[in-house]
Amino acid sequence: MTNSLHTEDGLLTLGVRDRWYALCPSRQVRPGELTRIDRAGEELLLWRDSSGVVHVQEDRCPHRAARLSLGVHMGDRIACNYHGVQLDGDGVVASVPGSPGCALEGRKALRTFPAREHAGAIFAWFGADEDAEPAPLRVPEPISGGDWDDFLCYVEWDCSYLLSVDNLMDPMHGAFLHRNSHTMFSGKREAVFQIRDTDTGFVFEKTDQRGVNFDWSEWVDTGGLQSVTLDIPYPATAGPGGPFTIVACVTAINEHQHAGFFWRCRKVRGWERDSWRFLYKNRLEARHWQVLEQDRAMAEAMPADAWARENLYQHDIALVRLRRMLRAEAKRQAASRAERRPARAAAR
Amino acid sequence: MPLNLEPVQSRFRPTTSYEEAFADELEAIYGRGVHDLPGVVAALNETGVRPADGAEWTEESFTREIARLGARED
Repeated sequence: MTNSLHTEDGLLTLGVRDRWYALCPSRQVRPGELTRIDRAGEELLLWRDSSGVVHVQEDRCPHRAARLSLGVHMGDRIACNYHGVQLDGDGVVASVPGSPGCALEGRKALRTFPAREHAGAIFAWFGADEDAEPAPLRVPEPISGGDWDDFLCYVEWDCSYLLSVDNLMDPMHGAFLHRNSHTMFSGKREAVFQIRDTDTGFVFEKTDQRGVNFDWSEWVDTGGLQSVTLDIPYPATAGPGGPFTIVACVTAINEHQHAGFFWRCRKVRGWERDSWRFLYKNRLEARHWQVLEQDRAMAEAMPADAWARENLYQHDIALVRLRRMLRAEAKRQAASRAERRPARAAAR
Repeated sequence: MPLNLEPVQSRFRPTTSYEEAFADELEAIYGRGVHDLPGVVAALNETGVRPADGAEWTEESFTREIARLGARED
């Protein structure tokens, strides 16, 4: 499975390394349980220690590669169910009950991914060099708290994460695919777009309309976390507080499935925030869900070779730019990996 | 691997008939462009929706009730 991470195509379709990726909602990893998920080309085990801190590790016993997720949660460590090998949250072998004192004991033998929890989700750092320090996890302002409030909507879709990135960087589909929705019913159905560079990426925006429909998207890569930010106006029925902002992160499950994290955010405080939260729970979440289902139906039905035969026009320049950026990074990482591997082999 | 799709992620219980009526009234009031606190409270008092004790809405009782209804559930 991880072999494809050596190649440019593999890194592109599973996600480039040296990034934080959102893995799953925090509530999906319950105390005392061992949770197995696949993300970004890695087979992962997630668990919380007795103090609640989440650990993300390779789901592979360093002894004989048995699935640790079939093992036993022991509070501050886990035990493989095959031969009882015990591992701590840092990936160090704490005990080998069948052969006490053997060389495996005390060794950091299990790949452990630096993990953080933020805004209701678990994030992990996928380093190209597994021993290197991660970049800081810097999240976009709308999910940083303060004057903002947010709800996380988590989904798993049966298509490549790259199609979701395409969808997010394509504001124009709002006026067509979502024309009957509660939020995107108005505005012009033709537009001229421009790209504006930022310190962390770029904004793709309509030149002649803002605040009416889905009118702009921003690609944000802080050097640690890749995300898309966009605004969608609310109708008056949503109450005071202006448009809502979506912060989106997508993470490959494998080459043809992905996990999507859509934080729906609004800059509201006091009773206005409480009112939005109440309406979100009772009315808006269902309507947002219908919109997202329209995107899912479209994305999941796309042909596997969609990118092979396209005829793009001016509205697609953000996709072209982003695909080129992601491929260039994948290519650079694959080349860097190829350079390192002979050196490693020689060192052995 | 089966994929996870949960339409409702912001609450962990069904809505009540009171919440349904309250949401309908609020949306209708907001839809008329009334977005200020005194205006919302006055408009609510013209509707049939009342707090549990049946009293008239005040700004204080409305903000308290909407904080309860909008509380984070996770």
